[in-house]
Amino acid sequence: MKKSALTAFMLAISCSAQNLTEVLEQGEQVFAKSCATGYCHGVKGGPGGAPRLVGRHFDQAFINGVVTRGVPDTGMPSFATKLSRPDLVAVVAYVATLNGVTNPNIGAAGAAATTSFRPRLTGEGARGARLFSEAVRGFGRCSTCHEVGDLGTSVAAPIAKVPASATELKSLGTPDVKTAMMDGESMPVLVLSEGKQSIVFYDLTAAPPVQRNAEPGSVKFTDGSNWRHSSVIKSYDDSELAAILTYLRAVVKP
Amino acid sequence: MIVSMRFALFLFAISSALAQDAGATRADWPHYGGTQFSWRYSSLDQINTTNVKALTPVWMFQTGDYAENLQATPIVVDGVMYVITARARVFALDAATGRVIWHYQYPEPPRSVPGFVGNRGVAVGDGKVFFGTKDDYMVALDQKSGRLLWRVNIDDARQCGCNITAAPLVVKDKVLVGGTGGDGAHRGYITAFNTRNGRLAWRWYVIPGPGEKGNETWKGDSWKFGGGAPWLTGSFDPALNLVYWGTGNAASDFYDAERVVAGADKSKDVNLYTASVVALDADTGKLRWHFQEVPDDLWDYDSAYEVLLIDREIRGRLRQTLVHMNKSGLTSVLDRLTGEFLGTFSVPEVRTWISGVTEDGKLVGRNEPQLGKTITVCPSAAGAKSWNSMAYSPRTGFLYVPVNEICNDITPNNRAPEEGRGYMNGDFPMKLAPGRTTYSHVDAWDPVTGKRAWSMPYKYLLLASMLATAGDLVFSGNPEGEFFALDAKSGDKVWSYQTGAGNRGSAVSYAVNGRQYVGTPTGWHVSVVGALAQSLFPDQDWRLGSTLVVFALPESSR
Repeated sequence: MKKSALTAFMLAISCSAQNLTEVLEQGEQVFAKSCATGYCHGVKGGPGGAPRLVGRHFDQAFINGVVTRGVPDTGMPSFATKLSRPDLVAVVAYVATLNGVTNPNIGAAGAAATTSFRPRLTGEGARGARLFSEAVRGFGRCSTCHEVGDLGTSVAAPIAKVPASATELKSLGTPDVKTAMMDGESMPVLVLSEGKQSIVFYDLTAAPPVQRNAEPGSVKFTDGSNWRHSSVIKSYDDSELAAILTYLRAVVKP
Repeated sequence: MIVSMRFALFLFAISSALAQDAGATRADWPHYGGTQFSWRYSSLDQINTTNVKALTPVWMFQTGDYAENLQATPIVVDGVMYVITARARVFALDAATGRVIWHYQYPEPPRSVPGFVGNRGVAVGDGKVFFGTKDDYMVALDQKSGRLLWRVNIDDARQCGCNITAAPLVVKDKVLVGGTGGDGAHRGYITAFNTRNGRLAWRWYVIPGPGEKGNETWKGDSWKFGGGAPWLTGSFDPALNLVYWGTGNAASDFYDAERVVAGADKSKDVNLYTASVVALDADTGKLRWHFQEVPDDLWDYDSAYEVLLIDREIRGRLRQTLVHMNKSGLTSVLDRLTGEFLGTFSVPEVRTWISGVTEDGKLVGRNEPQLGKTITVCPSAAGAKSWNSMAYSPRTGFLYVPVNEICNDITPNNRAPEEGRGYMNGDFPMKLAPGRTTYSHVDAWDPVTGKRAWSMPYKYLLLASMLATAGDLVFSGNPEGEFFALDAKSGDKVWSYQTGAGNRGSAVSYAVNGRQYVGTPTGWHVSVVGALAQSLFPDQDWRLGSTLVVFALPESSR
C-alpha cells in the first residue's frame, strides 16, 4: 500500500471512529432523556419499569424496528416522529452497543447531524410555533382546534391558506360553522358527518370543542352562526398573532 | 337537664350513625372508592367470618384485552357491572351472571401518542358511563346502550406527555378527572366537565400561575414544568360541597435547585401545591384549603393517592376527618372542613428519608439527594404503598393498608426540562429493604391512635387494593394469583382462592337479588411498578391476564 493511500485510510478510520464516538455519546444522551425516563427503561439500559435493554442480544435492525415502530399495546411508542433522524440513528446505535454490537452502523447520521426532521425555525417563526401551542393558555391556544405538524387537535380542517395579517386572521369568516338546535338549545357547531346511525358534530359553544354524537332526528342544523374566530383567539395580542402567522407560512404547504 | 342530655346523646347517636353510613356501599358499588367517601367498605355481611370458607367462584369474565392487566375498579349499579380494560374497551355485564349487555371499543390512538397503556376505571352517573383515555380525552357513553354521546380533548398528549389512567369522579352535575405527567416537564391540573354536554366547567391547576398565591414558591418559570399531576381519583363530601384530591410530586423529582426559591426557608411551604391534599369548591374548583405533606419533595413522593373521609371521635370530640397517605407511607389525619392538622403516622417498617415528624406534622431529619452523590432511600419511589387503595371499616375502626418494604439508590442529575418529556432528573434503581425475609405486609391501623393493631407479612410485594366488608372480612390479592380474605379483627387468613394470574386490581362487593358477590379483576401487569416489582424477584414469573373473577356463597348455604 502506498504511503498516501495508507494515510488516507488511517484518516478515514480515525474520522469515522471520531464520528462514531460522537454519535454514541449523542445516543447515550438521547437515551437518558427519552428512554431512561419516568418509569420506563432503566439507566444505561438496566431494568426499570420497562424491560431491560442491556445484554439482550438484540441486533441493530431489530432495535431500529422497535424504536421506529413502537410495540403495539405497550407503553413503547413509535419514536419515528418524536426524535430527529440523527437522534434516532444515534439512540439505536447506542442501544446496539449495549447488546454487544461493537461497531454499529451510523450511516450518514454524523453528516446529517445538522438537518432536523422538523423545519428549523428562528426568530418570529420559532416564537409563533411556541405561541401556537403554548400550554399556559390552556384551551385558549390555536392547537385546541388546529393540528399543525404533529401538535394540536384536528377539530378544524387542515389550514390551507394562511391569512395575510392579524386583522384578516381575526375577521376570518367560517361558513362551515352552522347553528344546531338540540334539546331546545341552540349552539354553533361544526358538522362532521350525518349518517343513518348517528350525527356527529363539534359543539363550539365554549373551548374546548366537544364532539357530540346525536341520534338522527334529534338535532337540526341551519346555516350561519354567531361564532366568530376573533372570540376564540383573544388570548393573543396582534404581535403574537403576527408571529403565529409567520410560523404558519413556514410550515403550511398550500 | 336530663332531657336535654338525652337529646344530645340522641343527636350524637344519629350523627355517628350517619357517619358510619356515609362511606359504606350497599347493593351497588357506585364509585371508584365504593362511595364518594372512598372507604372501599361494603355494608353487606352475608359473607362473613363464619361462612367465608364456602365462598366459591360463580362466574368469570375474560375481557379479551391482554395488552395489559385489568386494573379497573368495577362499578356496579342496579345489578349491572361496568368495567374498562387497559385499551379502553368498556363492558356492561349482568353482575349476577357475567353476561355481556353491551360492549364499546374506543378507537386505538395512533402509535405516536405516548403514555402507558392502562385504565383504572369508569365513573357512572347522569345516565352515562365516563372514562379517560390514553390520548387524553374524556368520553361519555349512554349507560343503557353503550352508545357514544360525547368526547372532549383534555390536553394534547403528544405535547404534555400526559394522559388519563385514573377513574373519573362524578360530583353532582360534573365529571372530574386528574391526569398523569407529573414526572415530566408538565403542570398538573384537575378538570371538570358538565356531565350533560361535555362542556368545560372548571380547571384547577395544581401549580398557581403568576399573580396567584403560591406562585412565589417557585423559582422563575419553573412553575410551568413543576409537575404535581393529580393522577388518581379524589373524594367528595356533599354536605360540605368540597372535593378532596391528592396532588403529585414536584418536578424535577430528585433535583430541586431549579424550582425552589433561592435561600428559601425549608420550614416554609415550597413548590405549592405539589405533594399536598387539597379541598376544592365542587362548583367552581376554587381552592379552599391545602395541606402539604412533603414540602419541596425530593424523593418522588406523590400525594396523589385516595382520600378517605371518616368521622371519628378525636380527643373527646367528634371530628369530620380526612385520612390520606403520601407515597412515603406518611399518613395524615386532618379536619376536612378546615384542613387543620390532627395527627400523622408512618406505615413502612424501614424508613430512611426522614428521621421523624414533629407533633404538628413537620418533617425532621430530611435525607435529601445531592448532586454528585448516591444515597439509599427507603421507602422507594414505588411507594410504601402503590396507587392501589387501602380500605376502612367503621366496625373495627381500622384502615387496612398494603405496605411494601423497598428502597432505592437515588443519584440526581440536573438536566434541563423539555416540555412533555421525562423530567425526573435522577436514577433510582430499586432494591429490597436489607435484612428481611418478607417484603410486604397487610396492616390494620387505627387512624385515631396512629397505632398498628395487627400486621400480616407476605414474602413478595402487595400491589392490589383492599376491600373491607361488614362481614368483618378484608379481601385482597397477591402477585402469585392468590385472592384471599383476612379476619378484619385479627388479620388471620380465613380463605383464599388461586385465580390463576397475579392480582394488581381492586376488588368490590355488591348484591343482586339479595345475594352478595365479591368480584376481583386479575392479571399482573408488565409496565411501571409491576415490572419494577418483578425485577426484584427475578426467579418469579407472575402471570399476566385480564379476567374478572366473581365469588359468592353457594345458593344452598345462604
